[in-house]
Amino acid sequence: MSNSSVEARVKNIIAEQFGVKAESLKPETSFMKDLMAESIDTVELIAAIEEEFNVEIPDEDAEKNQTVGQVIDYMRKRLTEKGH
Amino acid sequence: MKLCIFEDGRFSDLYPLTYTRPVFDLRCGRTRLYEKIVRNLPGVGTTFFMRGHLEPVFKDRLDGTVNELDALSGDDVLFVNGRVLALKGTIMPPGDEVAALKGDEIAYIYAKRETVSKLIGSSIDELLGRLKAQLSQLSTSVDLIGHPWDLVRNNPKAIVDDFESIGRRGVFGKMSPKAEIYGDAEKVHVAETAEVHPFVVLDTHSGPIMIDEKTKVLPFSRIEGPCSIGSGSMIVRGNVREEVSIGPMCRIGGEIEASIVHGYSNKYHTGFLGHAYVGEWVNIGALTTNSDLKNDYSTVDVYINGNLYDTGDTKVGSFIGDHTKLGIGCLLNTGTMVGVGCNLLGGEVLPKYIPSFTWFARGRISRGSGFRRTVDAERRVMLRRDVDMAPSHVQMLQNIYDETREERENLIKRGRGRSISEA
Repeated sequence: MSNSSVEARVKNIIAEQFGVKAESLKPETSFMKDLMAESIDTVELIAAIEEEFNVEIPDEDAEKNQTVGQVIDYMRKRLTEKGH
Repeated sequence: MKLCIFEDGRFSDLYPLTYTRPVFDLRCGRTRLYEKIVRNLPGVGTTFFMRGHLEPVFKDRLDGTVNELDALSGDDVLFVNGRVLALKGTIMPPGDEVAALKGDEIAYIYAKRETVSKLIGSSIDELLGRLKAQLSQLSTSVDLIGHPWDLVRNNPKAIVDDFESIGRRGVFGKMSPKAEIYGDAEKVHVAETAEVHPFVVLDTHSGPIMIDEKTKVLPFSRIEGPCSIGSGSMIVRGNVREEVSIGPMCRIGGEIEASIVHGYSNKYHTGFLGHAYVGEWVNIGALTTNSDLKNDYSTVDVYINGNLYDTGDTKVGSFIGDHTKLGIGCLLNTGTMVGVGCNLLGGEVLPKYIPSFTWFARGRISRGSGFRRTVDAERRVMLRRDVDMAPSHVQMLQNIYDETREERENLIKRGRGRSISEA
């Protein structure tokens, strides 16, 4: 799977979750500061990404990813490990 | 003679309650439908037929064989539809072979050993179809439960029937001298290990009250008959109005009227529940309330299997599947259907249909935390009542998750479209 494809898919999920346009999401966009994420958003977002990429994301990994860019990097790494 | 209790093809008309149980496991009154059937025929061996994915969960809970066609051979058999409301004396083995129908539906069939052996075929549906076609038919007036609200509608007479079946009347448990039976004292059954605390009123003017073993009714509760409270349950400052059945291990407070709580569910706080059926492992938060009467007093429509269905009743509440959690201040509209494993946040009137394994929050339906985390949370919930979630239970939930995927995804997409266009 190409890096740009992972980025687009992650951004689309985040955009749907927060009701914003995917183009407005930057690597440094923070879930807490910029998107005003509450715990319910975080839980839903993790579940949506897990379902989209068919991976299991441990809670401790999820807590480390606080920006859009961090999530994209994390997913690229996980998919590489998975052999995509 | 042998007894066979079977599910027919209408189990889905009783969704969401029958996603997680065979139709005959539904509660109406103190007991479940199959318990009433079996009670009519004491000492008769029973074979149950249910959907295959429920078998691993229920085969250890039921006293009898499950989904074994061969178990029906070698004796005369009374086949009883699991949706029959078998009040005392309604199901008796007739002398001659007969297919008793309600409309076109089988209520029960009595067949001799030779006939069963001749027509047995390869499935229970095939056998029943052949028996129905070949035996003489009669029309019966026995009640068949067709939809969830039929359970609520029939609950009062089922409670009275259960009370008469218990036989023993009076207070056998610990009842405070400061508690009051208001009405006929012969219309109560307080079991040996039950406790009725001070400042409790048991009002039997409209029907009997049964309080089962290890149940506690805490101070300032008022209970009106007909009512049944299952073993190990607790009534916490409850205003329990007429026609309520509460299963085992529930915590009930606030106002509840004409409703059935299947078991192992909590409605601890203030808030109204009326003309509703609540499944197992449900938690209802403080101030959560359901409507059971429309402002124009017209009959209530309910979504079943994707279609809006007129119940023909003006008093219809909500129907809530197992493992669903309702947060504080949820407002459920008249005739609301909530699936299995949902998580609903309050503050507004909820949609009338919420598919299984979804969340509803801030005006939209979502996938929530997904299947794995939902199951993890429910495992913790069950352990609080010392129940392990068996692998067969997880597999049953997975099957429901898969079965409901399409409707869930469709409604999530529709909800997202609405929220984006409104934004």
